[in-house]
Amino acid sequence: MSELTTGSFSIGDLENVQITINNIVGAIDKQMEKSDEEMGPTPKPGVSSLRDWDHTIFERYNPIYTPMCDQCCYCTFGPCDLSGNKEGACGINLEAHNAREFMLRVMTGAAAHSGHGRHLLHHMIDLYGKDYPLDVGPTNIIAPNVQAVTGIKPETLGDLDIVLNYVEEQLTQLLAAVHAGQEGAAIDFESKAMHGGMIDHVGMEVSDIVQISCLGFPKSDANPPLADIGMGCIDPSKPNLIVIGHNVAAVTDIIDYMEDNDLSDKIELGGLCCTALDMTRYKMDGSAEDQVPKAKIIGSLAKELKMIRSGAPDVIVVDEQCIRADVLPEAQKLMIPVITTNDKVMYGLKDRSNDDVEDILADLTSGKEPGALLLDFEKVGEIAPRLAMMMSEIRKQKGIKALPTEEELKDQVDKCVHCLACEIACPDNLPISEAMKLAKEGDFTKFEWIHDKCIGCGRCEFACPKDIDIVNVIEKSSQKLIRNEIGKVRAGRGPISDPEIREEGVNLVLGTTPGIVAMVGCSNYPDGTKDLFDIAKEMLQRNYIVVVSGCSAMDLGMYKDEDGLTLYEKYPAKFKSGGLINVGSCVSNAHITAAVIKVAAIFAQKQVSGNYEELADYSLNRVGAVGVAWGAYSQKAASIGTGCSRLGIPVILGPHGSKYRRALIAKPYEDQKWNVYDARDGSEMKIPAAPEFLLTTCETIEEMMPMLAKSCIRPSDNNMGRMIKLTHYIELSQKYLGVMPDDWQNYVRMETDLPLAKRQELLKILEEEHGWEIDWKRKKILSGPVMKSDVSAQPTNLKRLCKEA
Amino acid sequence: MVDVIKNTQMHCTYGCKTSKAVQPNVAGKLISKAKRPLFVVGSQILKDEELLKRAIEIAKKADIPVAATGHSMKGFVDADVDAKYINIHALATYLCDPNWTGLDGKGQYDTIITLGHYKYYINQVYSGLKNFSNLKTISIDRQYLQNATMSFGNITPEVLLEALDELIENL
Ligand code: SF4
Ligand code: SF4
Ligand code: SF4
Repeated sequence: MSELTTGSFSIGDLENVQITINNIVGAIDKQMEKSDEEMGPTPKPGVSSLRDWDHTIFERYNPIYTPMCDQCCYCTFGPCDLSGNKEGACGINLEAHNAREFMLRVMTGAAAHSGHGRHLLHHMIDLYGKDYPLDVGPTNIIAPNVQAVTGIKPETLGDLDIVLNYVEEQLTQLLAAVHAGQEGAAIDFESKAMHGGMIDHVGMEVSDIVQISCLGFPKSDANPPLADIGMGCIDPSKPNLIVIGHNVAAVTDIIDYMEDNDLSDKIELGGLCCTALDMTRYKMDGSAEDQVPKAKIIGSLAKELKMIRSGAPDVIVVDEQCIRADVLPEAQKLMIPVITTNDKVMYGLKDRSNDDVEDILADLTSGKEPGALLLDFEKVGEIAPRLAMMMSEIRKQKGIKALPTEEELKDQVDKCVHCLACEIACPDNLPISEAMKLAKEGDFTKFEWIHDKCIGCGRCEFACPKDIDIVNVIEKSSQKLIRNEIGKVRAGRGPISDPEIREEGVNLVLGTTPGIVAMVGCSNYPDGTKDLFDIAKEMLQRNYIVVVSGCSAMDLGMYKDEDGLTLYEKYPAKFKSGGLINVGSCVSNAHITAAVIKVAAIFAQKQVSGNYEELADYSLNRVGAVGVAWGAYSQKAASIGTGCSRLGIPVILGPHGSKYRRALIAKPYEDQKWNVYDARDGSEMKIPAAPEFLLTTCETIEEMMPMLAKSCIRPSDNNMGRMIKLTHYIELSQKYLGVMPDDWQNYVRMETDLPLAKRQELLKILEEEHGWEIDWKRKKILSGPVMKSDVSAQPTNLKRLCKEA
Repeated sequence: MVDVIKNTQMHCTYGCKTSKAVQPNVAGKLISKAKRPLFVVGSQILKDEELLKRAIEIAKKADIPVAATGHSMKGFVDADVDAKYINIHALATYLCDPNWTGLDGKGQYDTIITLGHYKYYINQVYSGLKNFSNLKTISIDRQYLQNATMSFGNITPEVLLEALDELIENL
C-alpha cells in the first residue's frame, strides 16, 4: 500500500472532485521515523527536558541581576517594593522577578521571529504548496537547529509547519509560567529563558529556510553580490519608495511589479532594517558577476527617523518588528503616505485590502487618508510603486520642504538656553548643549560629530522646553556627511555549507583558526557606528572568522580602510580563517548556531537529531566561538543571545546591554567550578577559566578586543592553537589596555603554548613572578602549570557521556 | 564651595530608593574614612586629561586602589597608582560575593567610588550593588545616579573639575 502524503489529488473518473490532505495524524512521528538517523535522548524537548543542562551551566555561570526597577507591578497586589531582594505580596523576590522579566523578554523575541516565520510559511505554502522542497545549498543537514531540537529532518515546507507547531506550543507553555504566583526560583525562570532562547533559533531557522528556498536567496553562496548602503546612496531626484521592517514577503511583490512594468530604473527602492537586507537577497541565487541586488540599503533603525525627516521618501511601506511607532505622524507632516502590510503594525489605518486599487490611490494622493492597511500583497506590489511615482510629482508641486533652511537653523539654535534637559534625556547623554553653544558662533562641527553617535530616537526633542527640533538641527548640520554616507554590503549568503565546515572544523576545534567572532544585533551603539568596522578589521587581520548579520552587517559596510575598500570588498566571503561572512538578516542568526552544531556533527561525527545537550556540551568545551552584540537593543537580541547561552557560546554586549538586566558571569577564582570530565574514562580534568561568561557587557571596544581573544580559548586547543590564541590575547591587551593581561599564565600548559616570539621573555616572567620551574637548557617548563596538555582528552560536562574508568 | 546638588533631575525613576545628593567636601571625608575603599574608574576618563589628572590625584592622596574598568588602564600605566584592569560587570558580580578577596587578595571592599563611566551603564551596576550587596557606593561623576548610595547632581564638565578639586582638598 502506498503511503498517503499531503497535497491535492483527483480521483480517477470523478470529474470536479479533488481531495486535499493538509495534515496526517501522527505525521511528526512518521517524519521522525522516516529518517534512518538515530534519535538522541530529547527530541522535541518540553520546558523541563533540558533543565539539568541549564542547571549545569548556571552552576558555573551565575545569573547576575542589575534590575532596572526595584519594584514589581505585575498584578493588582502591587506595586511591591522588592529592593534589597525583598519579597512582594505574592512571595516572589527581586531576583526571581528579574529572572521572570528576562524570560519574558526572551520569549517576546522568540515570538517575534517565529511569528515572522509562521507568516512567511503560510504565505509560501499558499503560493507553492506544502510539498515544495527546501533547498539551502550543499548540505546534508538542512536545518541543524530544527533537527537538533526537534529530531525532525525537514524536506518540504509542510515539514516546517510541523516544526512551528512545536515552537508555538513551547512558547505558550513558557508564557503561562509568567503568570503571577507559581514559580519562585530564579534559576527555574532562567532555565525557561534558556528554553525560549533555544526555541528562538528554531523559529529563526524556519523563517530563513523558507525564504531561502522560495525567494531565490543565495544558498550558502561564498561569493554573493555587493549591495549599496547608506543614506547617501539614495538618489533624491527620483521617486523614492522606502520600506521598513523585517518581513520581505510584501516587498517581493513590489520588486516584481517594478520589473514587469519597467519601473526598476525609474524608482529608487530603498530599505531600512532587515527587510532591506533581505531585499538584496531576493532572486540573487546564482553567480554574483551578472547580478545586481534589486534594492538599496539605507541603514538600521537608527536611521529611520532621520530618513523620514529628510523628506526624501515619497511613500513608506512598513511590515513588522523594528519599526518606529511614530512613522505615521512623522510621515504625515511631510505628506508621505504610509502603507502598512502586516497585522503587527497597523497604525490605526483603514483596512483597504479589499478595495479597488484606483480608489485607494485616489484617497492617498489627495491626502484624504494618511495611509492604508493593505494585507493583500499583490495590491501592495502595484500600489506602492505607482503611488511613489504620483506622490513624487505631487510633493514637488506642493513644494514640500523637510529640513530647516540655513536661516531657520540659526533661529532654532539661538533659542537654546542650555538647560541640559536634552542631555539628561538623551540615551547617550550626547553634548547637545555644547554643540548649540558652538553653533551659535557658526561652528556646526560638534553637531556633525553628534550625528554619527546619535541613534535618532527623538527623546531630546520631547525634553526641550524651547521646542527646538534637535534631530533636524543635527541632520541639517550634517548634510555634507550624509551625502557621503555610501558603502557596500555583501548580500546575505545563508548557511555555511557542509564542505566549508569539513575543511575548517578541525582548525576550529584545535584552535589553529583562533576563533569565530559573530557580530550580530542592532544599532544601539554606545559610541557611533564605526566601532563595528574597527572590531571586525582587527579580528580579520588576526585571521579570526568574522560572521555578521542584521544591523551589524549593514553598519560594518559603511566604512572603508586605508585602501578605500570596505571590509566586504577586502576579505573573502568564505567560512575560513580570515573570512568575512554576512549570513543575512536577523533570522539568519540561526545559521551561526547552526555552524557550531555542524562542526560537532561533521567534524566530530556527533549525532544531531534530538541530541541538543551533547551538542551544546561539545560547543562549550571545544568550539572557540564568541558573539558580539555591540548595539543590542531589542527583545529579539535577548532571545538570540540566550539561545547562544544554552548552546555554550559566550556573547558580549555593549554597555547598553546592561539594561537587559541579567548576565551570566562565572568567577575565575572559584577553582572547583573549572573542572570537567574526561569522557575517555570519566576522570576529572581541570580546565582554564574560559569563557569567563556566557553573557556579559563591556564598556568600550578597546576593552572588548582582548576579551574576544580570551573567550575563544577552549580546553580542546592543541599547543599550536593555544599558542595562537594566547598570542592574540596578550597582543590585544597590550595594544588596547597598555598592559599584559594579569591572567595569561593560567592558560599555559607547557612551553609550546607560549607565543613563539615572546617565549624566552614569558618563561622568565613565569620563573620570576610565578615561581614556575624552568629547565633553561631545554627551554622546558618543569613545574607550575595547573593543567596538563593532552590533545586526546575529551572534555565534557556530561557524566553520562563518559566511559567507565 | 561649589554646589553640586542642585540638579537631581532623572530621566526615569527606578524604584523606591534614590541616592542622597552629596557635596564634594563630604564625599572627600567619607572616602578618607572608608576602611576598604575601591576607586572604580571608567574609560570616559580618557576623554578628558584634566579629569584623568584628578583621578590619579585622588588615588594617590587617599591611597586607594584603582579598579580600571573598560580601557581606562591606558591612563594609569605610568601613573604610579595601584591600578588593575577589570571588567565592570565582572567586578559588580564579585563585589556581591562575600567570598571574593578583592583585587589584592586582602578581602572584600566596603566602599566603592566611581568616576568616568557612561551614566546608564554605571547606574545598572549600582542597581546590582544596591540590591544584592551591603556596599556603600559614591558617584563623583557629572550625572545624578539614582542607584548609588550617594551621588553628585547633574553638573557641567567645568563644575565637575572644580568639585573634584574640592574633594581632593578634603581627603
Ligand atoms: S506579581 Fe507579586 S511582586 Fe509583583 S506586584 Fe504582584 S504581588 Fe507584587
Ligand atoms: S533642552 Fe533645549 S534649551 Fe535645553 S539645552 Fe537642550 S536644546 Fe538647549
Ligand atoms: S535623537 Fe539623538 S541626540 Fe536626541 S536624544 Fe536621541 S540619540 Fe540623543
